[in-house]
Amino acid sequence: MKSKTLDSKKLIALIVGAVVLLALPLVLPNYALLILSFWELYIIAVSGLDLVFGYCGQISLGHAAFYAIGAYGSGMLHEYCGIPVFFTMIIAAFISAAIGALIAYPSSKLVFHFLSLASQAFGEIVYLLISHSPGKITGNYQGFFSDYINLFGYELDSYTSFYYFGLVCVIVFLVIKTFMVKSKTGRAFTAIRENTHAADGMGINVRKYKVIAFSVSAFYTAYAGAMYLHLTKFINPDTFMLKQSVMFLTMLLFGGSGCLLGPVMGSFVVLLVNEVLRALQDYQMFVYGILLLVVVVAMPGGLYGEIMRLVNFIKGKATQKAEVK
Amino acid sequence: MLRTEGVTIKFGGLTAVNNVSVHIQKKKITGLIGPNGAGKTTFFNCISGVYVPNSGHVIFDGKNIEGKRGWQINQLGIARTYQVINLFWKMTVLENVMVGMHSRLKSGFWSDIFRTPAQRAEERRAIEKAYEWLDFVGLKDNANDPAGSLPYGGQRRLEIVRGLASDPKLLLLDEPAAGMNTKEKGELDVTLHQILEKGVTILMIEHDMKLVMGVCDYIYVLEHGQLLAEGLPDEVQNNPEVVKAYLGGDDE
Ligand SMILES: Nc1ncnc2c1ncn2[C@@H]1O[C@H](COP(=O)(O)OP(=O)(O)O)[C@@H](O)[C@H]1O
Ligand SMILES: [Mg+2]
Repeated sequence: MKSKTLDSKKLIALIVGAVVLLALPLVLPNYALLILSFWELYIIAVSGLDLVFGYCGQISLGHAAFYAIGAYGSGMLHEYCGIPVFFTMIIAAFISAAIGALIAYPSSKLVFHFLSLASQAFGEIVYLLISHSPGKITGNYQGFFSDYINLFGYELDSYTSFYYFGLVCVIVFLVIKTFMVKSKTGRAFTAIRENTHAADGMGINVRKYKVIAFSVSAFYTAYAGAMYLHLTKFINPDTFMLKQSVMFLTMLLFGGSGCLLGPVMGSFVVLLVNEVLRALQDYQMFVYGILLLVVVVAMPGGLYGEIMRLVNFIKGKATQKAEVK
Repeated sequence: MLRTEGVTIKFGGLTAVNNVSVHIQKKKITGLIGPNGAGKTTFFNCISGVYVPNSGHVIFDGKNIEGKRGWQINQLGIARTYQVINLFWKMTVLENVMVGMHSRLKSGFWSDIFRTPAQRAEERRAIEKAYEWLDFVGLKDNANDPAGSLPYGGQRRLEIVRGLASDPKLLLLDEPAAGMNTKEKGELDVTLHQILEKGVTILMIEHDMKLVMGVCDYIYVLEHGQLLAEGLPDEVQNNPEVVKAYLGGDDE
C-alpha cells in the first residue's frame, strides 16, 4: 500500500518534470536555451567523471583531454573523412574510451597524488597536440570550425533543437550510469573506493575495474566534448586547458559525488556562477578555488548531500513527532 | 584440500614465516594459534595472495597457487576475513554481502549497463541469496544500514558471511572472536559448526583458547614464524613446549 502511493507520487512528479522540460523552449529566450544546452553537456561530462572519482575513488585532473578528444575527434572525422556528424560523435567517444583504457592500465597502480599528477600530464600532452598539431590539422591556435549535428538528414541548427537532442542524450547517459552503478560492475567500483585491499580479497580484479571506470568515464566526457563542438561550431585549444578539468571537478564536488543528482546540480550552479561572473573570466580558477573551499569546509557531501541531510532531518523530526503522539 | 610446503617469507631481516608446512583436512576446522607477532596473519596473507612467499609452495586442490593474485585465489574458492575489520563501510550491509558474491556472478560489463533480462534475473537471485546469508548470522534487519553503523560483533559476523557469499571451499578466519563478548562467542561456536555442515572447510586463527579447544579438530601452533607443535586439541594443550611458549610469552 505504502509503496504504491509513493510510486504514484513519483509518477506524477515524473510527468510534471517531463512536461516542464519539454515546454521550456516555448517560454525561454534563445540565450537561456544555449545555457541549458551547455548544462546538458556538462551533466554528461561530469557524470562521467563521477564514475571514476565518486564511485571508483580515483582522481583525474586530465578530463579536459577526453573532452578535447571528443571535440576534435568528432570534428576531424567529419572534416577529413566526411562521416555525418552524429556518427562522428559516437566514434570519437569510442576512440576516447580506448585511449582512456590505455592510460588507465599502467596508471591503475598509482596512488591518489601520483594519479593526479599523471592525469594532469596527460591533459598537458593532449593540449600541446591540439595547439601544435602537425600540418595544422586541428587548426592550432586559430581554432577549428565544424557543422551542426545532422540526425538522419535533419540538421540541429537551432538552440531549441539542440536542447531537445541534449535532453535525450542526458537521459540515455544517466540511465546507463544508474544501471551500471546498481550492478556487479558498480559494486566493484565502490568496493575499490571503500577498501581496495578487501576488494581484491573478495575476488574483484581491481585493475580491470579501474580500467573500465576510466574508459567509460572517458567515453562520457568525450561525447560531451563532441556535443560542445557541434553546439558552438567552433573550438580552440583555450577550452581544453587544465582549467577545464578543474571546472569539471568543481562541478562534481560542489554538486556531490557518487550519486546521480550531484553532477546535475553541481554543473548547473557552476555554469551559472561562470555566466554571472563573466567579467571575472581571468579569475576563474580563483572562483573554483572558493567553491571548493566551501565544499571542504561547509558541505562535504556537496549540494546534494546537504539537501539529503536536510530532507532526512525533516523526516526524522516528523517521525519523532508522530512517535510522541 | 590445502597444503603448504616450507612456506617462508621475509621482511627485510625479519623472517615472519619460516618453513611452515601444514595440511588442512577437508570438512574439518583447523586452528592456528600462537603468541602475538608469531606470523599467523602473515601466513594467511601468503595463502590468500596478499603476499607471495619467498620460497615454498601453497597447494590448493592439487594446484600450486602461490604467486596468484588475491582475486584469483578467491575465484578458486578460498575466502577470508581480516583481523582488522575490512568492511566496505559506506556500502550497506546487503551490498557488502553482494560484493562477496562477485566471483560467482556471471553478468559482465555489457549486460550490466544494458540491464539484460539475464542480468536482472541474476541480480534478483543474488539479492535473495544475500538476505539468506544475512539471516544466517542474524543481520537481516540491518540489511539496508551502512556497514559502518553495525556494532562490533555484527561487523565480525558480516565479515564472515561476506566471505561465505563467494561459496568458498575453504574459509580463512583471522581472529573471528576478537572483541566479542561471551554470549557472542557462544553463538560463533554454533555458527562455525553450521558453516562446516554446509561443506566449507575452515582454517581459523584465534586467541580464545576455550573456543579453539572446543571447536577445532586439529591445531597448529606457530611461534617466531616457525611451527612449534601440531596435533589434536588435547595433545597441543598438554604439550610442554606450547605451555612454555604461552606462559613465557605473556602473562595471560
Ligand atoms: N608488511 C610487513 N612488513 C614488515 N613486517 C611485517 C609485515 N607484516 C607483518 N610483519 C611482521 O611480521 C611479524 C608477524 O606478524 P603477524 O603475522 O601479524 O603476527 P600474528 O598475526 O601472529 O600476530 C611481526 O613481527 C610483524 O611486525
Ligand atoms: Mg594477526
